[in-house]
Amino acid sequence: MDRRKFLRFTAGGTVGAAAVSAVYMAPFHKEPQKGPQRVEIPTTCEMCVNKCSVIAVVENGIIHKLNPNPANPRSRSMVCARGNAGLQQVYDPARLKRPLIRAGARGEGKWKPATWDEAFDFAAQKLTAIKEKYGPQATIWSSTESFQETFFKSLGLAFGSPNVERHPTLCLASVNLAYSLTFGTVPAFDLANAKYIIMSGANRLESFITPDTMDLIESAMEKKARLVYLDPRFTVTASKADEWYPIKPGTDAAFILAMINVITAENRYDKEFVSTYTVGFEQLAEYVKPFTPEWAEVETEIKAKDIVRIAREFSDAAPRAVYYAGRRSSWYRDDFQMRRAQAILNAIVGSWDRQGGMVPNQKIALGEVSYLPWDDPTAPRIEDMDKNFPLAAKGDGAYLKMRENVLAGVPYPVKGWMVHKQDPMNALPEQAKTLRVIDQMDFIGVIDVQMSDTAWYADVIFPESTYLERQDPVEVLSGMVPVVVYRQAAIKPLHDTKTTLEISQGLAKRLNLSQYFDYTIDQWIDAEVKELPLEAPLDYLKKHGVWVPPGGPKYGSTLTLEHRFITKSGKIELYSERLQEAGYDPLPKYTTPLQPPSGQYRLILGRRAYFTQANTTNNPWLNQFCPDNQLWIHPNSARDAGIADSELVEVASTVGAVKLKAHVTQEIRPDCVFMLHGYGKKSKWQRLVAGKGGADAEILETAWDKVSGGGAFHETFVKVRKA
Amino acid sequence: MAKASKRYALVIDSRKCLNCKACVVACRAENNVPLEFSRNWLNVELRGEYPRLLAISEPEQCHHCADPACVRVCPTGASFQRADGIVAINATECVGCRYCMIACPYNARFFRQDIGVVEKCDLCRKRVDRGEVPACVETCPSKVRVFGDINNPDSQVSQLLSRRQYRVKKPEAGTSPQIYYLL
Repeated sequence: MDRRKFLRFTAGGTVGAAAVSAVYMAPFHKEPQKGPQRVEIPTTCEMCVNKCSVIAVVENGIIHKLNPNPANPRSRSMVCARGNAGLQQVYDPARLKRPLIRAGARGEGKWKPATWDEAFDFAAQKLTAIKEKYGPQATIWSSTESFQETFFKSLGLAFGSPNVERHPTLCLASVNLAYSLTFGTVPAFDLANAKYIIMSGANRLESFITPDTMDLIESAMEKKARLVYLDPRFTVTASKADEWYPIKPGTDAAFILAMINVITAENRYDKEFVSTYTVGFEQLAEYVKPFTPEWAEVETEIKAKDIVRIAREFSDAAPRAVYYAGRRSSWYRDDFQMRRAQAILNAIVGSWDRQGGMVPNQKIALGEVSYLPWDDPTAPRIEDMDKNFPLAAKGDGAYLKMRENVLAGVPYPVKGWMVHKQDPMNALPEQAKTLRVIDQMDFIGVIDVQMSDTAWYADVIFPESTYLERQDPVEVLSGMVPVVVYRQAAIKPLHDTKTTLEISQGLAKRLNLSQYFDYTIDQWIDAEVKELPLEAPLDYLKKHGVWVPPGGPKYGSTLTLEHRFITKSGKIELYSERLQEAGYDPLPKYTTPLQPPSGQYRLILGRRAYFTQANTTNNPWLNQFCPDNQLWIHPNSARDAGIADSELVEVASTVGAVKLKAHVTQEIRPDCVFMLHGYGKKSKWQRLVAGKGGADAEILETAWDKVSGGGAFHETFVKVRKA
Repeated sequence: MAKASKRYALVIDSRKCLNCKACVVACRAENNVPLEFSRNWLNVELRGEYPRLLAISEPEQCHHCADPACVRVCPTGASFQRADGIVAINATECVGCRYCMIACPYNARFFRQDIGVVEKCDLCRKRVDRGEVPACVETCPSKVRVFGDINNPDSQVSQLLSRRQYRVKKPEAGTSPQIYYLL
């Protein structure tokens, strides 16, 4: 079968109003493009955040296949299901192909195709009007990780808005902050050399993070390490672990504090390490005395004798023993405390900067193009980070507090929303509130490759070229082995799309901000790579896609008496004065979590290896593995609720209700239910998942961790009944 | 070319399978397999009762039998076996009679109504001829499948089979399947 047939096959489905169809159904390039018969172009994946190195096989101008590029020591010779399905993002007939301006009411799905000039003029006029009437701070710039994010952020800041809102508080803010406050940095975990690994819910064998997943595969599968896994759900990681404990949700910190209790009481900590590199051990040892394994058994439902044994095995294996940090740590209101407890546990057994332990990340310095700096925004962030989250990463913001303040108009009104590849409609809980934010906006502009639910409510849509059609800034992936990755275009853009730099420059020109964007992508990249110790660095990257500095992992660079950790004391802080001064607990505080009342269940979230957050469920090559999401529910709970497998159920919280099919399964605790993210979409262009299954965002309640500001997405109790 | 002495086989360590579907999508891309079909698949099973559970995920595709029933029944010679053991279909000679689909003990073949021919895994023979490994083998995060020449005692497949216990599926079908599942 040739490529044309493949393309014909992918071009299907019709939805929406006439105005939609006109755009949606416009034919895309079915004829092979001009080009050599077969070329292989090394580039970088963008189907999730990992930035794996891939080789695009391009035949007659059409991308035939994305193969792994083993030169990258993080992704190695792996391309996951999403990476392989990247072709569908490019050749998706429902892609955003040209700028669109809203023609009906917001969310009605009526669009009129526009030229880039029209789209830029329209957006600039709206943004300027908001700036004149309310000031530049009256705009939110929602941004998410991508190689061109920097240009979008720069535009928001140059415009004068302090409100560049990034994704960490929907993801890993609590873990980052906890490790930063303990070690002065967020370390890597040397899973390849660890002998004992404990994971709380970080479902690394389904929620892929390189190189951790690759290392864990090797460690766990080849039995090089013992893997103890805590999760209310029987995930793939649970299925491959040596021990799986379906821990009572929200009690992980009790398990960890009891481990610290055992290790301190039995003198199993690394005395020399603790006395040389840490502060606060005495306070810690005193503090954990009440947290006995017997106490933790009641909290966690993990037997005291198992906690004792695991604590002993863990300390015996140290420093090749780690309690893995996890990535999306937006679970509970006290997530920060749990992550701090982990960090402290790892520290007292000396698993720091040693083989098989936690290791500070190495970086690679890149050069920078010189451009005119803009004045810092004069207004404070709308979340008032200094007052509400004094220790959190200020540049990232705090998404949920931001939304509350926008709705309240405190301390100032917000009327404009620019969104770069984020999908707040699905990424934030309590979708009804996000819709209220949308309602109060005078202007919403979205940059994306697909018609996300947020784009669906936008006033203007700027279609971005996909990652296989554009050249991006060079990026450093810091880690135990840092690498430089490069994304070059495998093919020319198929449609009338632009890069985020071009979009930012187009808007900047009309907002009189061009002076801050006086460079080209080539100049930007040239300046970056000039610093690399290579003779012709860009040629090297074009040929190989990735550059790995010689040397490999380094251990022990911080284990010298001269080294000063970036903390208040200059040491690893078991007890944190900084936390105390900011009004928080200097040692990790445990709060017994509320449990769902009878007849209700805790909604927990998680991942499958073939989906990235909410944005690949509409990819036909991935959607086929799960055409609609289902509510996982334990057989006993299903019986209590009077529902049978595959039956349609209503899942209701205090903020909303959704309907989806029940999946009655042994793979979950009886007091929890689970559903996949990215279904029940509003956007009709997401044809495979529009109105299919249920959107967790509609029923999740708003809650956040009070130290980091990170969302608490496992705090919602739901009622389940036959629909 | 010393191809005649080669005998390609797959050794599969299902224990390492994450059920991540990378192999299924890689095959779809490499071989332009329409969405309603798949040349490879995962047999997934959950055993036990909460919280004592066992998840099994086992990749499968054409077994490239040494004595392939599909080739025996094919009236036109469209289904054929290469000297290196790969069982493939010559689409131009396939008349769509589907005898081979009935003969295959593994249900590894499907009929494409749109072009009137039967298709199945051919171990990415184009890739193999370029010296590459099949797409499913290459893309896998945990390298569940090992591809190689079992006539070469130094190959990884031979080494694995000499060191580990294994089984084949449906040996009673008598086709001498060439996918070896490690125990």
